[in-house]
Amino acid sequence: MGKLKIFVLLLMIVGLITSSCQAAAKEARGVYISGTSAGDAETLNWILAADSASFGYAGHTIDSLTTYDNEWRIQLRCAAKDVEVSEDGLVYTVTIRDDLKWSDGSQVTAEDYVYTLKNLMFSDWLNYPYKSDWQEEVDGETVLVTPAVVNETTFTITRQTVDPEFIYNLRTLVPYPKYIAVKYEGDVDAFTQAPEFNNLTYTGNLGPYKFVEWVRNDKFVLERNPEYYLGKDVGAPYFKQYIVKIFGSPATCHAALEARDITYTGIDPDKVGKFKKMDWINVHTVPTTGYLLMAYNMRDNGWEGLKHKEVRQALSMAISKELMIEQVLYGFGEPAFSFIPNTSPWYIEEGIAKYGVGSLLDKEKAKERLLEAGYAIKKADGSIEVKDKEGKPLTLTLVTNAGNELHENVCHLIKQELSAIGIEVELKFVPWATELRKYLMNKAPGSEQELRYNNGVGAVSEESWDMLVIIFGSNPLSPSGSNVFYTAEGGLNFWGYFNPQVDELFKRVKSEEALDEKVREQIYAELSALISEEQPTNFLAFQLATPGFQKNVRGIEPGINMGYNYHLWYFE
Amino acid sequence: MTKGLKSITHIARKVGGVRNLLFILLAALLGLTILLDIRVVEKIFDPLVYLYLAVGIVVALYVIPPLYTSRRLVQYYWQRARRNRLAVVGLAFILFLILLAIIGPFLTADPTEINFEEKNLPPPGFTLQETVYHLETQQFITKTASGIWEHPLGTDNKGRDLLAMIISGARVSLLVGLFATGIAIVLGTLIGVISAYLGGKTDNVLMRFTDIMMTFPFFLLLVLIVFLFGPNLVFIVLVIGLTGWTGTARLIRSETLSLRTREFIMASKALGASDGRIILAHLIPNVVSLIIVIATLSIPGVILAEAALSFIGLGDPAVTSWGMVLRAGQQTLDTAWWVAVAPGIMLFLTVLAFNFVGDGLRDAFDPRSSV
Amino acid sequence: MKKTWLRDYIIKRLLYAVIIAWGVLTITFVLVRVGPTSPADKYLANLASRGQDAAQVIAAIEARYGLDQPIYEQYINYVFNLFRGDWGWSFSTSMPVMELIKTHWIYSFQLVLLSSIFAALLGISIGIYSAVRQYSKTDYIATFFSFIGISIPNFWLGVMLILLFSVQFGLFKTYYDTSIPLLSLANLKQLILPVITLGTGMLAGYTRYTRSAMLDNLRKEFVRTARAKGLPERTVIGKHVFRNAILPLITIIMFDLGSIVFGGAYLTEIVFGIPGLGRISFNAIFADDYAVVVTVTLISAFLILMINLITDITYTYLDPRIRYD
Repeated sequence: MGKLKIFVLLLMIVGLITSSCQAAAKEARGVYISGTSAGDAETLNWILAADSASFGYAGHTIDSLTTYDNEWRIQLRCAAKDVEVSEDGLVYTVTIRDDLKWSDGSQVTAEDYVYTLKNLMFSDWLNYPYKSDWQEEVDGETVLVTPAVVNETTFTITRQTVDPEFIYNLRTLVPYPKYIAVKYEGDVDAFTQAPEFNNLTYTGNLGPYKFVEWVRNDKFVLERNPEYYLGKDVGAPYFKQYIVKIFGSPATCHAALEARDITYTGIDPDKVGKFKKMDWINVHTVPTTGYLLMAYNMRDNGWEGLKHKEVRQALSMAISKELMIEQVLYGFGEPAFSFIPNTSPWYIEEGIAKYGVGSLLDKEKAKERLLEAGYAIKKADGSIEVKDKEGKPLTLTLVTNAGNELHENVCHLIKQELSAIGIEVELKFVPWATELRKYLMNKAPGSEQELRYNNGVGAVSEESWDMLVIIFGSNPLSPSGSNVFYTAEGGLNFWGYFNPQVDELFKRVKSEEALDEKVREQIYAELSALISEEQPTNFLAFQLATPGFQKNVRGIEPGINMGYNYHLWYFE
Repeated sequence: MTKGLKSITHIARKVGGVRNLLFILLAALLGLTILLDIRVVEKIFDPLVYLYLAVGIVVALYVIPPLYTSRRLVQYYWQRARRNRLAVVGLAFILFLILLAIIGPFLTADPTEINFEEKNLPPPGFTLQETVYHLETQQFITKTASGIWEHPLGTDNKGRDLLAMIISGARVSLLVGLFATGIAIVLGTLIGVISAYLGGKTDNVLMRFTDIMMTFPFFLLLVLIVFLFGPNLVFIVLVIGLTGWTGTARLIRSETLSLRTREFIMASKALGASDGRIILAHLIPNVVSLIIVIATLSIPGVILAEAALSFIGLGDPAVTSWGMVLRAGQQTLDTAWWVAVAPGIMLFLTVLAFNFVGDGLRDAFDPRSSV
Repeated sequence: MKKTWLRDYIIKRLLYAVIIAWGVLTITFVLVRVGPTSPADKYLANLASRGQDAAQVIAAIEARYGLDQPIYEQYINYVFNLFRGDWGWSFSTSMPVMELIKTHWIYSFQLVLLSSIFAALLGISIGIYSAVRQYSKTDYIATFFSFIGISIPNFWLGVMLILLFSVQFGLFKTYYDTSIPLLSLANLKQLILPVITLGTGMLAGYTRYTRSAMLDNLRKEFVRTARAKGLPERTVIGKHVFRNAILPLITIIMFDLGSIVFGGAYLTEIVFGIPGLGRISFNAIFADDYAVVVTVTLISAFLILMINLITDITYTYLDPRIRYD
């Protein structure tokens, strides 16, 4: 009897210890507060949104088909397996999980996905602005791809032309609930104001969190979703609440992080040193998908010297990228040389011309090249003085959008660098809307054309400019999307770069032969090399982000997609 | 020779006096120079200099001579004003500011000169630590920078000399204060006097219009217009002036209403003077003291309005104003605090000075107060 | 019964108010519409990262927002909806404009109310004391500080206060926490710095006005009479002088209440991160959200008009000599 008692007692103790260990490690508790000073989202009815914040908010309550980890490996979410592509690259098959449910208990089916595509995104009444993601050119006409339901958990999308990078788009698809959306079909005002969509009441078990409340310009509150299909077996997510708190300025946001009032925020590069010294904060350094560049205006209303490759190369040679990164980004950046970011799996370094660093950073050589091109004179004492074709000192206009500290600083630095080789730079900081309308949009002079971002060879913008600093967000997985910038027909080729070789390469990378990944890699390498040599733009730098977390958050894997496993983070 | 003089006096009489003739000539000269500047030669003068010249001409022709001719009156008011010590201090500060604005740019560096090597320098006597990240080694390198006399107030986060920026800000604030207030006062006075004098329907219509303008939230309207049509300094000055006249109009109107029934006005009318002449020659000179007080007390509000606009980011990006420096300084409050403190103090002192002077003038002009 | 003209006067004023409100509405509407910016700009900002066809995006957005209709049609639609009680839909925050205002007005209101009370109580007391003890040291100090108070740019004051008390001394949070219930002590605590920031300017103004109004009245004949009658000084000052001085002061306090919401309070809200009407309107302007901008302007105009009317009517009761006709 005594031994039994002891045995049972021991069992109980062991049981207690193990269960409390588990409870101590993975019990949901605490409130994770993410601070931002970049502004509030616009709407939770994400299909109508323009800003990334809106997609971000809604994204906490509903997952996409798949996502990626820091090494770009596919992580399945709502998809039961990865998207299948047919041999000829024209048919895409998606299979979703069978345990996804809307809030009313009904199952999420392929019908919902197809409905979202056909009846919402492709419709005329909703005016979805990003339709071109789902369009293709067939015999000179623009048509939409064809989605079709196969069974409850499978649907297909059929194309008529091949686009090897369409799959990246498809993987981000998120459905709207058909049973609710049919009520508003055809009436865009009713759809916009639909309470179900504006309060995310339908999201069921599709996301780690459920919507609680949204006080505009103040906070966005979510609570843990115990039904989450991905987490319910492990008790994830491990935060009781997830709140996005909006601050009016980076200063107050940083102060809140320091005072432990929030859990996380992005830290400005110049403040990182200060936060590194705080032992209750962890600061990570992660790559981002954006890159800074300076565009050269090769249209008729820019300096005619810019139409020559040698001149562009010379200018790029004079600007030190490392200096820029050190002084403007406080060291948090890497020099960029191609439109393919170095975080992309398609990035190949060989063959890329690296202007602005190392051997291709040489102010004297830059002046020599300008001399060769006829834009400088050699003085009696042997020094080279840069002049334009009429012998007058050279002044170029550099434009960027006002109010962006980073852009402005970059412009000042470029001005400094170019003045060292004798080129005077006039800086113009204009509001974004003005920049769009008067500098980026163009049309043929004297014609009745509608202003567009690329009206062909002879088109010019309303205001003349020579260089422009801007940031592009690239998609590291599908760099071919950059064809809008570099091809003759490209819808965003506002700087007027026309090179048939480049056009050809982009066409190939979006065609059948590129379905073979090895071939695609090679074409991208050629494109990178060619464009870095041609310098239609001076690629400046890839920024590094510096997020800061309270030390008690565990489970973080710093990297380019570090949010992919955020449903498994917890407070220690 | 005498024929030339005769024709000049003839023209002068037509225009209403030698002074007006001089004004027209000088204004035409200035206008020509401006035209030349825009069309033919590049940048003879900085636009701010043009504004200074214009103001200088007006002051020299229309302000100084009357003060000179009525010396005794001026002396009387000055005696009264002098007793208010705060007002005198305020005046001294304003004069100092004007001096700074005119001479300063020649003595200091270019406020727009960016020099990243010298960013975030504190004033001499302080030091600051800065860290830069090294990608390859993943190390943070800390540098200590201390102030140097070349930058007596330190630099901002782009290496611009703070003292030069403050001086530039002084020029901008004085100009905005002067011009925006000028526009508002002129408009307000005209509307107030005309409305009160003509009465009846005109009064009604003008006052309803004033009411509409008055019920607009001033700052909101300012932000809206500047946001929609672009932050350009001249435009901002215009907008502040064109939206800030309502208070003046009201006050001038009530003063004119009481003046209107006075005997000398009745006498003028009986003698057959035209409405225009009565307004210009009789009514306005009698409200001058009120105008001066209103003007002096409006300038601080105008300066603060422009500073607030720059502070929220709607200022003219090509112009260095105090509000703009304050905005830049707000970001680095915890590290480079001097950038935010300096313009704030300057704004405060300037507004204070104008308030002192305005208050002193009001007491001096008010016959009831025994100063 | 003795003020029959008052009823007519009120009706006349209300009619005027409607006309003025309509004028404000039209001007604001036209301004926002005529401006060169468009809601499509936000979508274009994203373009560079998604590689879309800009023209298509612009056309889609303008069709969705009804911007492709001619302006007078949009105006008529808007006014018609206004009469039906539909104040429009805010595109930048995706909620009905009325709801947006309903959820945020309370923050502005509490800030303005508390600041006014703080400024009025303190200002009037100091003003009275200053006037009664004219030329004493306290008078000079009070006058000096009131000058300082009016002159400090309140957005700078706010920033400095945060720097000192929140960052350095850690006495207050650096941002306004809306999860704290409004009628609690904690809420009062976190409003201390904003109220000081906003109230200081008003306080200084009230001090000066009270002082000069009191001084004006202290010189009047009736004061001498009252003193000659042997009344205690406190009654003379408190009952007689003060009552007469209060009139212009009420105007100023009331006017401040109405106009501060979109003036000084606005900047204070931005500096302290209080989600009040000032912040809302500011964000709406930057987002081209015309429905919110027009509504907010209308509300502020309405506030001012009503407050002016109430003040004018109160005047007639406080000073029976006044009559409007």
